[in-house]
Amino acid sequence: MAADVTLAAPISSAAQPSSFAEFWASFRENKGAVAGLVVLSLIVFVAIFADFLAPHSPLEQFRDAVKLPPAWYEGGNWAFPLGTDALGRDMLSRIMHGARYSLFIGLSVMSVSIVCGVALGLLAALWGGWVDSVISRIMDLIVAIPSLVLAILIIAILQNPSLEKTIAAVTIVSLPRYVRLVRASALSEMGKDYVTAAKVAGVGSLRLMLRTVLPNCLAPVIVQAALGVSDAILEAAALGFLGLGAQPPTPEWGAMVGDGREFIRSEPWIVTLPGLAILVTVISINLFGDGLRDALDPKLKRS
Amino acid sequence: MIRFLFRRIALTLPTFVALMFVTFVAIRLVPGDPVEVRVGEHGISPERLAEFRHQLGLDQPVWKQFFDYVWRLLHGDFGTSVVTNQKVLTEFFTLFPATLELAFCALIFAIGIGIPAGAIAAVKRGSTYDHTLMGMSLTGYSMPIFWWGLLLVMFFSERLGWTPVSGRIDLIQYYFEPVTGFMLIDALLSDQPGAFWSALSHLALPAIVLGTIPLAIIARMTRSSMLEVLNEDYVRTARAKGLPPWRVIGLHALRNALIPVITIIGLQVGGLMGGAVLTEYIFAWPGVGHWLIDAISRRDYPALQGGIMLISSIVIIVNLFVDVLYGTVNPRIRHGR
Repeated sequence: MAADVTLAAPISSAAQPSSFAEFWASFRENKGAVAGLVVLSLIVFVAIFADFLAPHSPLEQFRDAVKLPPAWYEGGNWAFPLGTDALGRDMLSRIMHGARYSLFIGLSVMSVSIVCGVALGLLAALWGGWVDSVISRIMDLIVAIPSLVLAILIIAILQNPSLEKTIAAVTIVSLPRYVRLVRASALSEMGKDYVTAAKVAGVGSLRLMLRTVLPNCLAPVIVQAALGVSDAILEAAALGFLGLGAQPPTPEWGAMVGDGREFIRSEPWIVTLPGLAILVTVISINLFGDGLRDALDPKLKRS
Repeated sequence: MIRFLFRRIALTLPTFVALMFVTFVAIRLVPGDPVEVRVGEHGISPERLAEFRHQLGLDQPVWKQFFDYVWRLLHGDFGTSVVTNQKVLTEFFTLFPATLELAFCALIFAIGIGIPAGAIAAVKRGSTYDHTLMGMSLTGYSMPIFWWGLLLVMFFSERLGWTPVSGRIDLIQYYFEPVTGFMLIDALLSDQPGAFWSALSHLALPAIVLGTIPLAIIARMTRSSMLEVLNEDYVRTARAKGLPPWRVIGLHALRNALIPVITIIGLQVGGLMGGAVLTEYIFAWPGVGHWLIDAISRRDYPALQGGIMLISSIVIIVNLFVDVLYGTVNPRIRHGR
């Protein structure tokens, strides 16, 4: 174990016990990032406890309270604080439950594409040769097709759009950024002395990959991951809006905007509120991600 | 320079081959027998089925079908739409000018506002203006643009009645044969008073919606690149020489700060094509993005296949062009590697 540490982390600022405190001190200075974290925690809280917090079921249709405006408008009703949609479903409850879908999509896309991206990127960097060429060209291809268009094509192939298929499509679309990042930083690490030292010491390739090179490539990946979540949420919402994502009656935000489209003239809140929820969520994740980047990766710090 | 150019072109060739392979496989993965989709009848006689399969080349081995497909693509045959029976290439290039006009105006909007706004923010670093602009930029690139489009329609079209809700021009009042395919230019050429204004008012909202994310990114990028350049020795030298501030900023700093911004602008092209799908869908803009969504809902797979092939080829070629342009302005890239 001790031998590992000396091999894996000669410049081990990331592995020392004080690293979290150091990170937090630097993160805390960025007011925007802290605000983002607070709002994001609130959204996560709402998503987790939506069942207890929401005043109604997101699917229950109140036939005598259809298209009710938010409570502070004339004709509003405090039983439905944010009003109801065209089928008499409570907007607040639907938006609260919608947080689950968006965050779930964002997190699953991120975790699956990180695992695949790290694996493919390390493989390309360590094997080189034709493995590297094949992986890199496939990533070039994915980047060449506009991401939303590619996601639409994948949904068309899979047929019958659903939440799971949205996640699959958005994951494939967001894979290249992780693969390229891991490959590039692994390649630059590979030239360093500690990797040569590990090789000379007879470390096997799997171990070299996972224990020696990987830990030193992780900071940029973590930064990319935070921003990747917000892109995934936007991409999935766009699919939902086009009717190619989560299907009704699922209270997914993008789909809610799409379904409410015909009411923008008369009942605008059906469209504005779910869209606002997307915007606030994405802004708070981006703020948090920026703070994460500045704290973890001072080289990338934006002046 | 020539060597650099050829190396870049050679690098994109495998991507093209992979693209052809993917579109070829994709159409085969789509459920449903292509013959049945084409003929539109269930339970046709085995003889007729065999005849159709032969006609479509489906009785050949798969590798031969692939080479036939590549051969046809190389000869400009991108398939035939199942719904309209038109050549996909013809349909695509009838609609493409509309998308190009929209994307071009969106980019002009984004560059025209983004670069000066970002440069001023860098010069006035830490000011209220700087903070406001960065806040707006953050909001801009976090924006679900389909919702943003609806908001603008709600405000400018429904509430204020300033702009029309959909289409490219008022078809009841104005009609003229397309000359260039670009509505703004055609309207000017048509000599009909008010036609240009009508075309412009139709274009304004979609262009703003599509340009919002590039605008946010360009403003932010210009700012950070400008901040870096302002600390360089040559800027200090220019200042020390006693040049007026606008000359230092406009000529010495901004010109160098724009080099990375060019790359960012180039990278927006793929995003613009994706954003065009959403924008055209919201504003019923008759371009290729709208057509692609239609192709899906009509299950017109040859059109989808050809359309994706064409859109992606355009993105690859534009990226190649940007790469070469970048190599021209920044010789370090050209000679490195």
